[in-house]
Amino acid sequence: MTLDPRITGRFEYGQDQQVEGMLHARILRSPHAHAKVLSINTSEVPQHVVTLTRDDVADLEPLYGPMVKDQPIVARDRVLHVGDAVAAVAAGTPREAEEAIALIEVEYEEMPAVFDPVDATGDAAPLLHDGIEIPAELRPDGRNMCHRFRLQSGLGQDGFERADVVVEDTFAVAAAAHVAMEPHATLAYWEAGRLHVITGTQTPFNVRRDLAALFRLSEEMIRIVVAPMGGSFGAKTFMRLEPVAAALARKARRPVRAVLTRAEEFITINRHPARFHIRLGATRDGTFVAKSVDAWWNTGAYADCGPSVCTKGGYAAIGPYRIPNVNVDSRCVYTHLPPAGAFRGYAATQGVWASERMTDLMADRLGIDPLTLRLRNLLRNGDSFATGEVMHDARFADCLRKAAEAVDWGGGRKNKGLAVMLKGMQTPSRTGVALEINAGGHIVLRSATTDMGQRPETAQRNLAAEALGLSPDLVTVGSNDTDLVPFDTRTTSSRSTFMMSNAIREAANDLRRKIAQRFEVAPEDLVLSDEGAGVAGSPDLRRPLTDLTGLRGDGTFVTPGGLDPDTGQGIASSHWHQAAASAEVSVDPETGVTSITRLHTAVYAGSVVDRPGAELQNEGSTIFGIGTARFEGIVFEDGQVTNGNLSDYEIPSILDVPDFTYDLLEGGEHSHGLGEMAVPVVPAAIGNAVAAAGHPVRNLPITAESVLDASLVR
Amino acid sequence: MEEPDWHSPATIEEAVALKARLGDTATFLAGGTFTAILVANGLIRPHAFIHLARVPGLDRIEIGDDLRLGAMVTHRRVEGSSEIRQSSWASVANCFAQVASPRIRNQATVGGVLCDADYASDPPTLLVALGARVRLRSPSGEREVMLSDFIQGHYETALGADELLVDLVVPRPPRHVTYVKFRSRSSEDRPCVGVAVAAEVDGARRCQSLRVVVGAVSGRPQEFPRACAIALGDRITIEVATEIGHQYSELASTLSDMRGSAAYRKRLIAVLVRRSLETLAA
Amino acid sequence: MKIPVRVNEQPVELESRTDETLLTALRRAGFRSVRLTCGIGVCGACTVLIDGAPISSCLVLTPAAVGAGITTTEGLQDGDRIASAFQELSAFQCGYCTPGFVLTTRALLLEHPDPTDDEISHALAGNLCRCGSYLKIKQAVRRVAESMRH
Repeated sequence: MTLDPRITGRFEYGQDQQVEGMLHARILRSPHAHAKVLSINTSEVPQHVVTLTRDDVADLEPLYGPMVKDQPIVARDRVLHVGDAVAAVAAGTPREAEEAIALIEVEYEEMPAVFDPVDATGDAAPLLHDGIEIPAELRPDGRNMCHRFRLQSGLGQDGFERADVVVEDTFAVAAAAHVAMEPHATLAYWEAGRLHVITGTQTPFNVRRDLAALFRLSEEMIRIVVAPMGGSFGAKTFMRLEPVAAALARKARRPVRAVLTRAEEFITINRHPARFHIRLGATRDGTFVAKSVDAWWNTGAYADCGPSVCTKGGYAAIGPYRIPNVNVDSRCVYTHLPPAGAFRGYAATQGVWASERMTDLMADRLGIDPLTLRLRNLLRNGDSFATGEVMHDARFADCLRKAAEAVDWGGGRKNKGLAVMLKGMQTPSRTGVALEINAGGHIVLRSATTDMGQRPETAQRNLAAEALGLSPDLVTVGSNDTDLVPFDTRTTSSRSTFMMSNAIREAANDLRRKIAQRFEVAPEDLVLSDEGAGVAGSPDLRRPLTDLTGLRGDGTFVTPGGLDPDTGQGIASSHWHQAAASAEVSVDPETGVTSITRLHTAVYAGSVVDRPGAELQNEGSTIFGIGTARFEGIVFEDGQVTNGNLSDYEIPSILDVPDFTYDLLEGGEHSHGLGEMAVPVVPAAIGNAVAAAGHPVRNLPITAESVLDASLVR
Repeated sequence: MEEPDWHSPATIEEAVALKARLGDTATFLAGGTFTAILVANGLIRPHAFIHLARVPGLDRIEIGDDLRLGAMVTHRRVEGSSEIRQSSWASVANCFAQVASPRIRNQATVGGVLCDADYASDPPTLLVALGARVRLRSPSGEREVMLSDFIQGHYETALGADELLVDLVVPRPPRHVTYVKFRSRSSEDRPCVGVAVAAEVDGARRCQSLRVVVGAVSGRPQEFPRACAIALGDRITIEVATEIGHQYSELASTLSDMRGSAAYRKRLIAVLVRRSLETLAA
Repeated sequence: MKIPVRVNEQPVELESRTDETLLTALRRAGFRSVRLTCGIGVCGACTVLIDGAPISSCLVLTPAAVGAGITTTEGLQDGDRIASAFQELSAFQCGYCTPGFVLTTRALLLEHPDPTDDEISHALAGNLCRCGSYLKIKQAVRRVAESMRH
């Protein structure tokens, strides 16, 4: 058996990409949360070191951003967060680059800063962005707001009149860091007017589009080659280091590689801190009647994909429940914190925390078992969700029952908690795949799905092999290069296996059609096997695949949809991710230290095409959820990150992970995403368990101190 | 910037003479775990390293009337020494075994942890409770300093500019010694609170001596002998344990960090001191 | 400075400043299985074995390693039991932390050929895996330990 290069350590990530003659970049960053940049003096930097300041990019588009163009490559007249890029250098060695940035003198005039989203919408709050263009589909409605998602169904707030009991409360979720083991890494070079970027990214086509816009080039002039990533979890999405690397490479006329330090990772892109005020109304028998969600998302200095997070989190907080009257008001607000963006669990983590804690508060108030209360209200096939879409393939109750069974809920619910959720999948979206027969008679699969640790090539090869009736050994996955692969929206939102499985089927059918054409037969008369292609009933007409070199099948799968920005109605998700979790905890009432004695997730997986991969994704996202629940929160002080290292900010170690269990609910023809599903439900189940133990916590992370402070016993 | 000079002295005398000559521009390098972080992050920029690995006589473990641990003895050797584990000083091995991870313990040294004087550390808390002292060598001779006096505050020790810590001396401990490392977060976390108890209890279970030290809650380990005095001469009861815990909580100064707030630490001290004394009573 | 060491039993001359770490020097010499994540010795991504003992190479100033026998996973033989178990049980996702786990496991099993589950967890607790492969990593280590019993 040849060892996988990931085990021998010979596997190469973004940070390992090299090109001859490349320079190393470092970024000079603002120490202030908000300041005018009065002057930048690079005269002390040695001549042979290339510097980049606002003057060097004055001929480019001034701003970029995946939704709102609000971010410059390097600061123009102001810096908007601690860590904001002011200038950059490229030098022969990382050390030289490090020394060079220390020689750049910047004169700042500090300005008042705002860090809380509610404060930021106040009249007196300093304005972060003036005169930027807000895209038509966003609906900001207030100072420093970049989006406001509103949804009303039924009678909205008026629905509360129909409730016998109304419970309301406030919940908060801290900012968090992705902590991918490998930092962000990008290498850029220009060749004959084309920009080549080798980068660890989940979103190659977004990057290509946005670089093209930024550099005022057509997309064909940009080539993105995706390097495998040592983890990403949402951090390596949209434009990160690509603009600065490309701009430096342009000035230097040499390739430039930029790799972030661990400290920089904490001020580059994080998980949105969020606050929710939830009201839930029910009749005395536990039927939900009305729910209102008031949410504030702190997107930091740049919007990134904040508007989308704000929307998704807004409806995730409704929960997978049948509620006739719903009102959601979810706001995405700029502050002088480092920007927040895509993060594993994508807004569902925050929304589900608030929603499921509230569900338990209602259960307490009504004196109804939390499992019974949920089962009474869970969406079933044919029910409408608050967006108006009708549920199909609803397995929420199955997931929840399995989770409850696993902790022997029937035997008593002391110190136990449950959670169940729905999470949207990027909609609308499009995935293209091509299957080509190469000179060696192998099928080369061309797909823009990126590898961030989920190792999609196994699923890809299995899917293609199955669709064509061949062995996976005959399928190779080609290089992830935008010059070679068809368009795919991006590898996020746990969409890829689902989308690819459909696109691969299309591509396989197309390839079969083309092979059949060669044989001048109908596709149904074509016989395809490892030995070659032939015609049913005529074995002597069989030809090896090497005779069919160059034939290519293309397949595209599109999921239409989207929500009306004014009413929140429409198709939020072509297909919903469904999961539940249960936890049992043991709380030391004198120290607040909580240990998880049982933990179970039940996730609707559908058709599993790579079993070890499916298990790893679910195990991995469960462990991620444990970190979210117990440890993870970035602590800011006056806009500074105070715990920006892996001793002060902890992620779970092997000893922090109990022997947890899980169910992957299978069935049906669709492959559902698994990469994120446990992340939102695990913290909510743990929180509910801690509450059941007598410590009704309301915020994430659930620290020992917060458990003590929440104690019902003084 | 030019790279620092690298010295590998072959004797203690050479090492201290070098340090005396180079002064503050040079830094001793023992295991190097802390120094490497300081250097890599640009927090210190020494002109010279004085690496102690080649100096003989700094890596001895000696058990006699005292336990003597040379400055270059790694945590791992203390942890794994069957000699220490089978002796009255077993608690010392247990304490060093709890520090960080096996990797750190393979590299970090006794001398290093004491001279770093990092507050979020385990060994100093226990060693102060055991009345340990350090031997310091300079060109002008040698002196001994009580560890409780040696560690003065955050990263501050009584080490003179021309001095080298050569070993740690731990007197024979009383019969009952415990060290509890309380972590508020991950199992891999540094201590939020460390509580060391060293007590002599006679045949009738009466407490003849008692030292309780709390560490990791402020710049240096803290001890309040007057609070412990109420335990002397009698059996330790839950009431006495609770009262001592309460006193320590009132008297200790505590700080806030990522492991907990100052107020949380105060609450914990009451609980953890009481629990350690209850264990003793049992 | 040139610092002679042995890496995977071959003599190697590491190029390094005196204030650079062994991690930097090893990567410069082409041993890219040794990686930087935290830079403060807590994550284990930079683990190497020095004379058989797991060490965070980000905490070693290169000259301190003069003459050392260093092991990295580039030296893994094809039939390596630990590597094979990791492969068979899919005990990895992105793979960035995997070399660190493999080396730590090797050191553990040399010291404790028949470790309890607790001993396994404690030995590996200093290696972080953000992808969350811990369950399968433990299974892989158990499998190697079992195979060594027969």
